[in-house]
Amino acid sequence: MSQAHPEAHERRILRTELLWSFGVGVLIVATLGMIVFTAVTRDINPPSNVERIDPKNLHLSGEFAEHNLGTAVASDGSVVTRVIATQFMFSPRCIAVPQGRPVTLRFASPDVIHGLLITGTNVNTMVIPGYVAQVHTEFARSGDLLMPCHEYCGLGHSEMWATVQVLSDQEFRPDGDGRVRCAQR
Amino acid sequence: MPADILGPISQSPEDEDTIDEDALAEIMKTVPLGAGVLAGGAVALLVLGYIMIYVLVFLPRGVVG
Repeated sequence: MSQAHPEAHERRILRTELLWSFGVGVLIVATLGMIVFTAVTRDINPPSNVERIDPKNLHLSGEFAEHNLGTAVASDGSVVTRVIATQFMFSPRCIAVPQGRPVTLRFASPDVIHGLLITGTNVNTMVIPGYVAQVHTEFARSGDLLMPCHEYCGLGHSEMWATVQVLSDQEFRPDGDGRVRCAQR
Repeated sequence: MPADILGPISQSPEDEDTIDEDALAEIMKTVPLGAGVLAGGAVALLVLGYIMIYVLVFLPRGVVG
């Protein structure tokens, strides 16, 4: 009985394992490469914004005061939408955004942790009391999209949702103050 | 009771190593290949699913950041 056999087995297994390790390494590099390539060429990144805000007087004064909620078009044409996520509703319940233009969505919570996504888009963020959650995006198609809370926030969680109305250029008309409200359909 | 129906427990220590090394070597030639094909096929399916979701679902959903 030859003693070379076990060594030959081990060499063959080692070669297979090395080949496998190389293949897995290539896969990991390719996956990370896809993510980096998409981030650089398509500007698709995980939303990242660390900005403190006092949740106690959120809706009384400042950026998230009631009169300032919803969508506003600044003088430079930039579109910013501000929404409060609170138990158990979004305020406003319907937000109007333009189709095919960059939009900055800003969310804040005065009570507990909420989360949201907008169906059919990559918008998906947590809303944590004390911080402003900010997402930059662009809506490709017009129509009504659902924006539910996706972080359990209490007994009324399932009732907490809003509508995102993506309006075409003809429909997206700011008023004198630069504010845009949902169209009545 | 005949020894052959008692199974391995009844075997004496000197009878234990009855493996044919040549037959084992023959099998071991294909075992790494089989393991590679099985694991490679499973990972290939996983990667294919990832790429399809990435290209067909994630990218069309548009810019976010």
